[in-house]
Amino acid sequence: MATTGISESPPAAPAPPAPAALELRGVTKEFSLRRSRTVTALESVDLTVGHGEFVALLGPSGCGKSTVLRMVAGLEEPTYGEVLVEGGAPAHLVRRHRLGIAFQEHALLPWASAYDNIALPFRVAGRPVDAARVTELLELVGLEGFADARPRQLSGGMRQRVAIARALVLDPEVLLLDEPFGALDAVTRRRMNFELARIWADQRITTLLVTHDVDEAVLLADRVVVLTGRPGTVRHVEEITLPRPRDRALARNAEFHDIVDRLTALLDEGAE
Amino acid sequence: MNGRAPQHGTRALHATGRLLSRYWTVLALVAAWGAWVRTQHLNQIVAPTPAAVFGDVLDNPGAYAPDLGWTLLNAAVGVALGMLLGLAGALLVWTSPVLSGLMTPMALIMRSVPVVAMIPVIARVVGFGTAAVLTITTVVSFFPVFVLAGSGLRAAPAATRDVFTVLAASGLTRLRLLLLPGAVPALLVALRLTAPTAVLAAMLAEYLLGTHGLGQLFARSVTFMDPARAWGTALVATVVSVLCFVGARAAERQGTARFT
Repeated sequence: MATTGISESPPAAPAPPAPAALELRGVTKEFSLRRSRTVTALESVDLTVGHGEFVALLGPSGCGKSTVLRMVAGLEEPTYGEVLVEGGAPAHLVRRHRLGIAFQEHALLPWASAYDNIALPFRVAGRPVDAARVTELLELVGLEGFADARPRQLSGGMRQRVAIARALVLDPEVLLLDEPFGALDAVTRRRMNFELARIWADQRITTLLVTHDVDEAVLLADRVVVLTGRPGTVRHVEEITLPRPRDRALARNAEFHDIVDRLTALLDEGAE
Repeated sequence: MNGRAPQHGTRALHATGRLLSRYWTVLALVAAWGAWVRTQHLNQIVAPTPAAVFGDVLDNPGAYAPDLGWTLLNAAVGVALGMLLGLAGALLVWTSPVLSGLMTPMALIMRSVPVVAMIPVIARVVGFGTAAVLTITTVVSFFPVFVLAGSGLRAAPAATRDVFTVLAASGLTRLRLLLLPGAVPALLVALRLTAPTAVLAAMLAEYLLGTHGLGQLFARSVTFMDPARAWGTALVATVVSVLCFVGARAAERQGTARFT
């Protein structure tokens, strides 16, 4: 289903018969505060994500990058512009349970085991739990021995793995990750990055990752979209052509560091 | 075999020591009560000695048991109904803001008026006897459950609610898989708060308008000038309330560990 290659999708390309996996067209988002005051979180953002593409939204906190993800998930509505997922409204995909999501907070059910947490989407969708699929995902995220453990018995990194497994269990068409490793320490975070790179290489799902960690974005993505400012606007789009699989050898790759330095500088300018 | 007996003995000694250090105030209270009766040379009808009261309870368990059972049944049924209605009320409020505007002030009124003041009104409405006693224990349990279940249903973290939204969970699914299990700790707190109160409320209602139960036993003993029995009733009621509290607290700890 997912293409193995990296689809290139310039923002202004004439619409081919197959719609892009994700598309934002001139999206502006305003939040109303008290007494008819509004604050603009995003200003005319255009973004296209091709099928099977991994795009990272990189930006400082408060630039509205999470808002982009929440709109794609149908949790927020754009004030102006259009958000399309597989050519339709996000609600369309949500209704068919084709969207996987994971947040910085693991958002696991504290009373349920790792197994039951991963099986949750089946139960919410009213489908019989596919035990083989749940076990397969436990293995994929490296938690074979922890099926019966409850979230409080797992480390922070393990909880995020369960959350990602839960997002993947129904074989979604689009995976949305909102700072999934934001609450982890630096070492665990880097380890989880390589884990995610491995998992993604295995699944090749269209993925939108929101992060403020430059290394994380470059390490994982096919394309990094840099958002800066208040309101957030797209400042730069960087194609990452680093070879896959990306593993720890990347840490010695000069090009990797080059890109990271460049994007860091961009973020730094944007902060002024 | 030989080595175990002394070890056993020291362990029992340790346990006694721990009990003493934790509950010495209770013993002191009983001792003070005995000293007070003796030094003031109080008549047995005014205040019986601890020995007389404990003796009456221990020698005539049969005199207390049926009434105790009746009171416990009243309290238990009242708590169960109160929890059920409180949870149902919280669910109604959760589904509709209109109902919330209607029910919350009513519940507040019920809470602000002391039970004693409500008893004549309730007796007038539902009649004297068991129905009134049950109504009172239910009313007493309702409010804490209503309030705590209400906040328990809203306790689910925003991110978890978002996950359910993205999974297109229906309201009923969300309730069953997320909100109700999430409200269990709050419900157990409500149980801990209401269980001892319900026993005392049942006794009070029985005293004023009941036909059986510890409250009636107390009223009868006072009428027939049996102070040891009357004080014994109070003693039994106190012990049972404390046990209810301890039991409910244990349930709460278990539940909290399981659901958080």
